[in-house]
Amino acid sequence: MKKLIHLIVVLLFVAALISACGGKPQEPAQPAEPQKPAEPAQQEKPAEAAKPQFAVYALNSEPLTSWDPAIEFSNGIHLHNNMYEQLVRYEPLEKKVKPLLAESYTVSEDGLTWTFKIRQGVKFQNGDPLTAEDVKYSIDRTMQIGAGASYIWSAVENITVKDPQTVEFKLSYQTPLDLVASTGYAAFIYSKKCVNENNEWIEEAKGCGTGPYMLKSAKWGDEVIVEKFADYWGGWADKHFSTVVFKKVAEPATRRQMIETGEATVAVELPYTDVDILKNNPNVAVSVDPSFQNLIGMFNTKKPPLDNVKVRQALAYAFPYQEVIDTVIGGYGRQSYGMVPYGLWGWSDKLPQYKTNIDKAKELLAEAGMADGGFKLLLTYTAGNEAEKSAAELYKAELAKLNIELEIRGMPWDSQWELAKSTDLAARQDIFVMYWWPDLPSPYSFLFSTFHSEEEPLFNLAYYSNPEFDSLIDQANQLTATDFAKAESMFVEAQKILLEDAASLFIYDRQDIWVTVGNLRGFKFNPAYPTVVFFHDLYLE
Amino acid sequence: MKKFILRRLLLGIIVLLGVALLTFFLARVVPSDPAAKWAGPRATPEQIARATIELGLDKPLYVQFGKYLLDLLQGNLGYSLRTRRPITLELQESLPATIELVLISTIAAVFVGIPLGVISAKRKDQLIDHLSRLFSIGVVSLPTFWIGLILQLVFFRVLGLFPMGGQLSTEIKITMDIPKVTGFIMFDSLVTGNFRIFLDALWHIVLPGITIGMYPVGLVARMTRSALLEILNEDYITAARSYGLSERIVLWSYALKNSIGPTSTVVALSIGYTLVNTFLTESIFTWPGIGNYIASAVIGLDYPAIMGVTIFSAFSYVVLNLIADIIIALDPRVRV
Amino acid sequence: MRWLSDFIKTLQPTIREWRLSFYLLNRNWLQRVALIVIALLVLIAIFAPLISPYPSHAISATNPKDKLLPPSSRYLFGTDELGRDLFSRVIFGTRISLQTALIAVGLALLIGVPLGAIAGGLGGAADEIIMRITDIFLSFPPLLLAIAISAFLGPSLQNAMLAIAVSWWPWYTRIIRGQAVSIRERQFVRAARAIGTPTFRIIFSHILPNTMAPVIVQASMDIGGVILTIAALSFLGLGAQPPTPEWGLLISTSRTYFLNAWWYSTFPGIAIFVTVLVFNLIGDGVREVLDPRTRKF
Repeated sequence: MKKLIHLIVVLLFVAALISACGGKPQEPAQPAEPQKPAEPAQQEKPAEAAKPQFAVYALNSEPLTSWDPAIEFSNGIHLHNNMYEQLVRYEPLEKKVKPLLAESYTVSEDGLTWTFKIRQGVKFQNGDPLTAEDVKYSIDRTMQIGAGASYIWSAVENITVKDPQTVEFKLSYQTPLDLVASTGYAAFIYSKKCVNENNEWIEEAKGCGTGPYMLKSAKWGDEVIVEKFADYWGGWADKHFSTVVFKKVAEPATRRQMIETGEATVAVELPYTDVDILKNNPNVAVSVDPSFQNLIGMFNTKKPPLDNVKVRQALAYAFPYQEVIDTVIGGYGRQSYGMVPYGLWGWSDKLPQYKTNIDKAKELLAEAGMADGGFKLLLTYTAGNEAEKSAAELYKAELAKLNIELEIRGMPWDSQWELAKSTDLAARQDIFVMYWWPDLPSPYSFLFSTFHSEEEPLFNLAYYSNPEFDSLIDQANQLTATDFAKAESMFVEAQKILLEDAASLFIYDRQDIWVTVGNLRGFKFNPAYPTVVFFHDLYLE
Repeated sequence: MKKFILRRLLLGIIVLLGVALLTFFLARVVPSDPAAKWAGPRATPEQIARATIELGLDKPLYVQFGKYLLDLLQGNLGYSLRTRRPITLELQESLPATIELVLISTIAAVFVGIPLGVISAKRKDQLIDHLSRLFSIGVVSLPTFWIGLILQLVFFRVLGLFPMGGQLSTEIKITMDIPKVTGFIMFDSLVTGNFRIFLDALWHIVLPGITIGMYPVGLVARMTRSALLEILNEDYITAARSYGLSERIVLWSYALKNSIGPTSTVVALSIGYTLVNTFLTESIFTWPGIGNYIASAVIGLDYPAIMGVTIFSAFSYVVLNLIADIIIALDPRVRV
Repeated sequence: MRWLSDFIKTLQPTIREWRLSFYLLNRNWLQRVALIVIALLVLIAIFAPLISPYPSHAISATNPKDKLLPPSSRYLFGTDELGRDLFSRVIFGTRISLQTALIAVGLALLIGVPLGAIAGGLGGAADEIIMRITDIFLSFPPLLLAIAISAFLGPSLQNAMLAIAVSWWPWYTRIIRGQAVSIRERQFVRAARAIGTPTFRIIFSHILPNTMAPVIVQASMDIGGVILTIAALSFLGLGAQPPTPEWGLLISTSRTYFLNAWWYSTFPGIAIFVTVLVFNLIGDGVREVLDPRTRKF
């Protein structure tokens, strides 16, 4: 049975390849054999041979949590970025904002007026042409709903349509709106027709985006199948995938197997222990790319004993950075310099790093009057994340040397987060371990959400509060559009404060391991859109 | 007779009410804030306040419970916090895959378990009885989730005989139209004559089916054995034997027929076990059923979804047991 | 010291029952082997630090340079993703599993036994209410209620034990109640009632001690099922937390690595299987022993 299916698949690929390459009219040679015409598989083959290529993306959790591109702020990033488009796209490694639905844009001298020229001839998947009206409508609605990542637009005061191809954004304060408009969430342009009179997204509304793929079918929490939108403004070549399946495959071992057997085209979040084995497999391609994800362990700066900066510094010295990088992520990452990850502007190797040094840690503990340790700390991490779990276990072994007992608690993200926001201050964790990634590809996004003072804790789970730091990053953000160099140096300065205060463990900036089938071409990962694969760029060789 | 069924039904209703109360209580005493979750990450306090009203969480508890009961009566299990979709709908989507798996393993339980139990009872205290007893106790002692991994290791990794997971090959799913008659892939493909799809589905269900089926096989074998042993001690069996009826007739038609009652109860019971065992195995086999659904609900702390699956499973369990009881009651031999 | 002799006196029927069961069980070779294995497991649990070659690997130490090594003379069961000796971890897991199962069953008895005695001893409305409550709890498929409760309480081994106790007690209530109903009308209870002993005193000092025997025997045989449940909860991420070497958690973690490291899933699974199997074998035997219909004398 398995062989039969393999045979069919191979034939299918061969057929597709032949029709893609030559476009010759003659049929592939196989139906010549007259002996076994009774097999049903054989009969269906001609119809199948005409079917084009498809790709399968094996995801670690459900493909999406909301159909509404204004709301979705989770896994749907994979899918929505293939169905919808933003005004511009950011290429962080080249530090360039590239045109997408907007052909060009300008910003006024004071940085408060941004004008975008909309691309001509773009069609929505339902056939309607894209106009400046649609841009205004989409962003207005996203802001008005105010869910998900919509806060990225908070600087926008109003949007005006100047002419059918021109739209103007007025800001209340300076912000790099081009970066905002490039965001992987909440910056999509969509059609009015997909929203009902209650401003609700029509379930599974089809044909609402301008992107290369449109919805074919979906099984919630399991898989979504999209197919090509023939009138896509970016055009189509025969080699492109005409169908893409986004499939949840919870077990990492199964995802790996799917790549090895060619059942999946791309897979995410494979264990780092598998990577070296996969590298030796000729049917598999492994590419290592910088990602903007970093692992941090926020110290509870408001709860004894970690309210003492000496203790925090001691704990930062006790962390086994290199061991964690080597063991947990197989060396595919580098120790962080502060909060901003490698590859993003605002990262600087001029910043100091804590290096593992148990003696130094003991010294600092002694200075804090706790030479013998003897206290207990609670570390929480997101259950199911192997890297966080193993890092915590390695840390526990080091802290045991300081006679500090680390309790490790793996919790579903929501409970972990809820505990951190608990009104019972004593119940809160001491160390909050999580991966952070950008909503916006800007250092402000990294520093504001995590360490800017908050009245009620949201993501500043170190409960860190330092007016000097706050004003530094606020000013730097406003300077971004007008004096980039100054802004960058201020962001670096701000991180120095964080490091001196040891507000958090800055563990590693991880590299993303992309495991794809060996003959996949055109694959290029963009760290500003974590885990997104732009399938329109890809083809099989 | 009628009185018995009526009493049983009434009890069933009371039990279901209690189940609803218990799940409601569980979901409400947790220190979590469903409104914050509903409003989404990074929601403002105003959004959370709005969500509180939207979800009716501002009302007193008894009002909430009343509404919950009314909704349940209409088959409305509430909304998932993660997807904001009706849980009833989500269950409907994921149920067929699970039912298919549960049915296959229940059928296996009947066809393997009963003969095993009969042989064991017939040869009581002989080697074959010991072995079959060891086997049936063995399979109920196996951690389901572990045996799933071991089967994958052996039959996929080493032998390459069966796929590691999924319900259908992706190739088939994309290149062929999957017939939709009842939602059960194997049944639908069979009645529409799509043998390729049927075979592919069959090929995929083997490993999860064995994994899930082990427990009920053991359970049914043990129950059949003890029910038969009890019946074989009865006077009418002795009488039948003394009339010179062959042992085969005595065993297979007299004794076995009379053990249908206890056996059907245990089959009903085993469906409950099997259903819960899918929670442990579906994610291993990437099986798109309610086991996978509750696993993501647990990870995402989707309380209404967890409640929904709990209520649903308890409900089906109660109904199955009720049916088994009524079957027994209808059996003229049991009537007093 | 009177209380002590009183206590021993109340325990006497239980001990008698245990001895009888033990005697009957011991006559069957399969059950004899099972009894020996249980004794061994208890010894392993007690002497875990002495038996395991790397006891620190079961507590907090890590050893990343030896990660994921196959079984060898140095590491009998191989090593895990942080280089810890799986043999040591599985040995310590025995201790954790037996301990948590004992506590969980103990808690279930603590809830179930008094309720059963009250239901059986008082009869009437109290009986009806308590028994309907047990009906409700027993109408959940096994394991489901434990999953739901620990999902709501949050993941930890303590919560898992609590969840199991909360879903398990009705079984004991039923057994005790059945016994209590039959004892309630016995001569000595009537006598106590006649001389005006308060009802609750009757229940707890006359009825309860005479109903404990079968339930304690039953409970000790339930250990297997409870171990399996704890492992299942830990497997789902609802029980033990790392680096605790709980068996279910070991298997859960091994999922990521098992295709390259067969030993990682295999050994903890065998440990669970053997432990649950021997308890179930004994439990199956006891059921026959206790059941008056199949009891041989």
